[in-house]
Amino acid sequence: MKILVPLKRVADPENANKVKIAAPAGGLAPKIETTGLEWKPNPFDEYALEAALRLTENGTAVKARLGEVIVVTFGPAECDQTLRGALATGADRAIRVDVTDDQLDGDLVARALAKLVDQVKPDLVLMGKQTVDSDSNQVAQLLAAYLGWPQVTFAANIVNEDNKALKIGRVADGGQINVRVQLPAVVNVEDRVVNPKGVTSPPTPATHKYADGVRFAPLPAIMQAKKKPLEVKKLADLGVEAAPKVKYLGYEAPPARKAGVKVKTVAELVDKLKNEAKVL
Amino acid sequence: MAQAENPLLDDRTVSFLLDEVLDLRAHLALPYFADHDREGVEVLLDMVRKLARRVLYPTWKPQDEQPPTFVDGRVRLHPSFHEAWPALVETGLLSATRPSEHGGQQLPFLVHAVAAAYLGAANLNVVGLGMLTTGAAHLIEAFGDDAQRAQWMTPLYEGRWTGTMALTEPQAGSSLGDVQTTARRAVDGSYRIRGSKIFISGGDHDLGSNVINLALARVVQPDGSSVAGTRGLSLFIVPRRRPDASSGDRWVDNDVTTTQAIHKIGWRGLPSIALSFGDRDDCHGWLVGQPGRGMPQMFQMMNEARVGVGVAAVATASAAYQEALAYARGRAQGRDPRNRDGGGPQLPLVEHADVRRMLLRQKAIVEGSFALALTAARLVDRAAHAPDEAVRAKSQRLLDLLTPIVKSFPAERGYESVALALQIHGGYGYSSEYPIEGWLRDQKLNSIHEGTTGIQGLDLLGRKVVAAGGEALALLLEELEATAARATQSGVEPALGEALRAAGERLRGTTMALAQRGLRGDVLGMLLHSHDFLELASIVVVAWQHLELSAAAHAGLARGGPQPRAFYEGKVLAAQYWLATELPRVPQLAALCEQGEASYATFPDGGW
Ligand SMILES: Cc1cc2nc3c(=O)[nH]c(=O)nc-3n(C[C@H](O)[C@H](O)[C@H](O)COP(=O)(O)OP(=O)(O)OC[C@H]3O[C@@H](n4cnc5c(N)ncnc54)[C@H](O)[C@@H]3O)c2cc1C
Repeated sequence: MKILVPLKRVADPENANKVKIAAPAGGLAPKIETTGLEWKPNPFDEYALEAALRLTENGTAVKARLGEVIVVTFGPAECDQTLRGALATGADRAIRVDVTDDQLDGDLVARALAKLVDQVKPDLVLMGKQTVDSDSNQVAQLLAAYLGWPQVTFAANIVNEDNKALKIGRVADGGQINVRVQLPAVVNVEDRVVNPKGVTSPPTPATHKYADGVRFAPLPAIMQAKKKPLEVKKLADLGVEAAPKVKYLGYEAPPARKAGVKVKTVAELVDKLKNEAKVL
Repeated sequence: MAQAENPLLDDRTVSFLLDEVLDLRAHLALPYFADHDREGVEVLLDMVRKLARRVLYPTWKPQDEQPPTFVDGRVRLHPSFHEAWPALVETGLLSATRPSEHGGQQLPFLVHAVAAAYLGAANLNVVGLGMLTTGAAHLIEAFGDDAQRAQWMTPLYEGRWTGTMALTEPQAGSSLGDVQTTARRAVDGSYRIRGSKIFISGGDHDLGSNVINLALARVVQPDGSSVAGTRGLSLFIVPRRRPDASSGDRWVDNDVTTTQAIHKIGWRGLPSIALSFGDRDDCHGWLVGQPGRGMPQMFQMMNEARVGVGVAAVATASAAYQEALAYARGRAQGRDPRNRDGGGPQLPLVEHADVRRMLLRQKAIVEGSFALALTAARLVDRAAHAPDEAVRAKSQRLLDLLTPIVKSFPAERGYESVALALQIHGGYGYSSEYPIEGWLRDQKLNSIHEGTTGIQGLDLLGRKVVAAGGEALALLLEELEATAARATQSGVEPALGEALRAAGERLRGTTMALAQRGLRGDVLGMLLHSHDFLELASIVVVAWQHLELSAAAHAGLARGGPQPRAFYEGKVLAAQYWLATELPRVPQLAALCEQGEASYATFPDGGW
């Protein structure tokens, strides 16, 4: 199976409070202050990559690749590091579409990905359900529409049936919906897909238990990753016009959370809920 | 949970140290590191951060609460060790710095030290076992023959087996010259080992199929004679299981017995045990390197091991500092002292001057120690891999001098630093519901193992500063001068550079005075205040590091470097704090050493 996995780097979610928005008094900030931010791959994209690797290997002998995983990102040259991390983790090759973040919106990414799919011809586009910076949750859906491919969202577990179809358990309110999708398809994943039994894919024995979570790139693989192919493309190479539909008017930080108070009695709590929070 | 959010180490400080202070890019230009680049190092550190924060840190507390068990003569680790250890092994870090011909990746020790700091801050039990395993393999690599490397070193570097350093005996702790374990040569060329060892970390567990002890023992001749003292000690490979000479592939028990698992107050997940060799007189050992060279061979590895202890101490202090910082921001207590009526809202702890003092003191200790440990790690690389012979020799000299300080300062002040983190938690810090008390217990070991602080003081004063006519000290003073000049150029207040120069001069004067005393034959008088001398030298050396950080931060501010302004300002203020509070102690400590203040030396026995 050939799988395309789009990756995005985001401001380190573990340090999200360091994101600074410098707004003029009473107005909106024209952009987010990115100095000193630490960049990390979007966690959901890492889950997609892990799932893609599990679908293209024998889990008991992971060094022999049985399919191909191609990672793609949109961004400036610094993003090569994110791709190198993915290559070290096990992806077979990488593509960077050279743009800057402010030239992009979800729709443009989806249109560019659709063109890339025409060129790369994957059997599956596997992606994170959303990025933890803008939380839009729309690229997979848009991409499926542009391609005219079936889509499955919020995949929590995936069973590979002969590289022709996938049986997917998707998360829904209060339970799980099981669907079967014919390939090619667009699938987006949520975090449970990297549970020890999140992906079942022959020839990995059905009894095999993966380590919980995503795998870590060992040092030798990090060094070898430098030798794996990393191709840089321009939007023009894909025949896509750099015209985002979304216009960012400005940014504003959410109001600071007030410090909590400890109440002494139930009566006081009820009073506060009634008169201050006005929820009762 | 608060715990999961502890970053353990500040990522920005790591980037700042590597890029703006220690110039990792230039360091990577050494030919030995040709296969590495800055981007690859960042990918590695990303991986290490995830491993530390997501995998290792959650296992630390359970391992502390449920130490290994000792049942039916064997030690069993906490179950989480069985997941954490393979995860560490898979990173390839055990052999990362070693040459490719021995299966390594020729990674700079500098980078390895940063990785060890992240992982050690998360869980020292697991990282400790890794360091012991690497250390044992490294000894075989350096002094063993090809057959020994193939048989013992490779499985250690690959993490299939683990290693130990089996030196300590009940009557031979600081003074290893008193080791009594014996080795008698057998007809097959191997030796029969008999004796008992104590405190051997990683000496028994249920992880892999073998434990390889690197043991010090005294060769006894057929006529029963042996050489006394350290000159009689040799280094042996003493595995728990050995290949059966008669039947090829079979492995048999090597008559190594666990006699006790020691109950410890820290590093509780990693067993430290008492071992007995040769109860049935069937314990085989293989000589590594030259007979009688056990101690010098060990010493050759000592710098790296001791820098490793410094890194472990930085790691523990850093985790506690991060915890205290988050706590001080989160907990509200007390009010603005300017409100006479005691009114107004409760303030977060971090607003109170005395709490800020405790935070800044921790930051200054953690970052000064970290910079020092990494500077030493870079010297380890240069001493081994600089193409220029003269650079190698100089680096080795300076490293030898700094090692006792790197070993002891982060441990001693790191203990103070964790105590401050506990203090910031108030009564909650004293409860085991919060993690600080665990770090306090873990940290104490760093001033004991690999040579106590007392031994480091003797090493610095009795050996290092006087070696080769004081050449190492002269090199250090050159470094101080270069940093002072650089700092002034970068815009650091000139008075700080001057203060560092003056402190360096005082260190030189005190050293001269004590050396003269030693030359006159008054060895006791020379060494009487070895601890104060160590303290004095440590203060100067860490002030040097802080001034270096301040210079780099000023440069970053001036050119709009990659970090936010407040970050750089924090470095500048931490340096200012350290120099302002610690350098004034230099003359006081110098006077104690020079005058040989004699209260405890002359103290009457009946007076205690
Ligand atoms: C948790 C733990 C793990 C350990 N792991 C290992 C291991 O894996 N392998 C191993 O071989 N050992 C190990 N050790 C042993 C450790 O290295 C020794 O405990 C240490 O070297 C000190 O020896 P000692 O305990 O006998 O103390 P002593 O040597 O009895 O020292 C007691 C005190 O006297 C001071 N002192 C001793 N001699 C002098 C002197 N000449 N001048 C001035 N002061 C002096 C010391 O500084 C110290 O404060 C471990 C110890 C611990 C606690």
